[in-house]
Amino acid sequence: MKHETTQVSASPADASYPLDVSVPVAAEPIPDDPSHRAYVTTLFNRHRVSLQRYLMRLVPADDAAELVQESYYRLLRHGEMVRVDAMARSFLFQTATNLARDHHRRRATHRAAQHVPIENEEIVEDHLGPDEQLAGEQTRLLLERAIADLPHDTRTVFLLHRFRDLTYPQIAEVMSLSARTVARKMAEAIEHLSAAMSEAT
Amino acid sequence: MNARPDDIRAADWFAAARSGDSGEGDEQSWLKWIADTDHQRAYESCELAWELSAELRSSPTLTVLLAGADALVSQQRAAKRSPARPQWRLPVWQVGLAASVIAVGIVAWQFFGRPATTEYTTGVGEQRTVALADGSTVFLNTDSVIRVALGSHLRHIELARGEALFSVSHDPSRPFEVHALKGVTTAVGTQFDIELIQGGAAVSVLEGTVTVGASSATALPAVAVSAGSGVGYTQEGAVSELRPAEVNRIQGWRSQRIVFNDLPLETALAEYNRYTHTPIVLSNPALGSRHINGVFHIGDEAAFLSALDQGLHLKATRGSTQTVLEPQAGFEP
Repeated sequence: MKHETTQVSASPADASYPLDVSVPVAAEPIPDDPSHRAYVTTLFNRHRVSLQRYLMRLVPADDAAELVQESYYRLLRHGEMVRVDAMARSFLFQTATNLARDHHRRRATHRAAQHVPIENEEIVEDHLGPDEQLAGEQTRLLLERAIADLPHDTRTVFLLHRFRDLTYPQIAEVMSLSARTVARKMAEAIEHLSAAMSEAT
Repeated sequence: MNARPDDIRAADWFAAARSGDSGEGDEQSWLKWIADTDHQRAYESCELAWELSAELRSSPTLTVLLAGADALVSQQRAAKRSPARPQWRLPVWQVGLAASVIAVGIVAWQFFGRPATTEYTTGVGEQRTVALADGSTVFLNTDSVIRVALGSHLRHIELARGEALFSVSHDPSRPFEVHALKGVTTAVGTQFDIELIQGGAAVSVLEGTVTVGASSATALPAVAVSAGSGVGYTQEGAVSELRPAEVNRIQGWRSQRIVFNDLPLETALAEYNRYTHTPIVLSNPALGSRHINGVFHIGDEAAFLSALDQGLHLKATRGSTQTVLEPQAGFEP
């Protein structure tokens, strides 16, 4: 049987780590839209340093640099996006996070497939966590606790927006609040959670 | 912990970016703000918290909290359809129905005779997961005893000592009753925890709904307790007001962790000592009012003592029957 997939070529720095995962042949071509390309390039250059610093909190430094590049190409390929900087930045960071998660999972699968001596295995376990998720055990616990500790209304606003994808006006209606109050409660929630993240890292 | 102005501003910007409307005026001040490296760092923490929180979606704690948020949405939507009927109160007939279901259960059980009883126990510091024949699971915490009798019309469990978390498989035809002291907690399909404590029992519901009432027939009607809430009851079966479920503590012990969230040391040690044969005691009871925070692995005494040493300036002396904590020189109460 013939495999309809290509081997992903590892970068030279990564030669000891041939990523043996197979992905579908080359993603869609980059659309030829000069205005989109210009927008993405400006956006990317504005937030590039910040993005790399962010990724270094999720993956090793070498990988972070690679993922920054990859995020840029993803955005180029993505086509039209809302040209409001803060929203576009959110999209860029979300894309980068997803790439980091894929990357993390590939590494996990790769290492799991290898025969690792017992003393190293402990370390690998510790670093990866059982779920192949980016957030380590400690971070998960801190975030969970931070969410549980939020005042009731603030927590409800956060949960409905984060996990149920309700918009601020929808949440405002459900909770009989003004959209402005919903935004304020979201800010409170985020501030509290980001404080928990500083505790974690 | 006091938030820095940068962190507050960052969270404001982050929340505003997700509001869906952003004017041209905001764009200019945003670009100016985010150009600063310190501001970027603060904003990165918001993004990190937001992105990583997505991974908690199916964690047990979040499942419970989300159920609460979902209930609010469905209540509000139902209220919109029929504004005349208040939705927030459990209708009396439902309580009555639950009571009659229990009554039928007891009658049936007495009629068909007592099914075979199996006992499961754990020693001090042990935990155990018991898979029951009906598909339910019981997680036994340290130093606990349960007796299980699965009948064709009733699932009868007795919590004789300690603490257990029950994950009940759904079976409306066979209520799942947990008897502890003179109280009974009844479920159909849900997850709840019962801990025997000094002078009574504490019930926390993580999923679904249970009823909690006295086992004697003359007592007050049972209280309905739903996910995220809990109640306590006394030896005699008098049930308290609803209060928040002890979600953190329960999720903690399920993953072999003890979670202390700003607890007085006295309370924290009582909890810690449930898991050890050589309890940790204070040389002076006045030390018990100091507060402790942290997450500790059950059984990792060295880490716990080291945290007490560094955080609360308490020196531990290990004896054969107990470990005594004394204040370090200069840190006496």
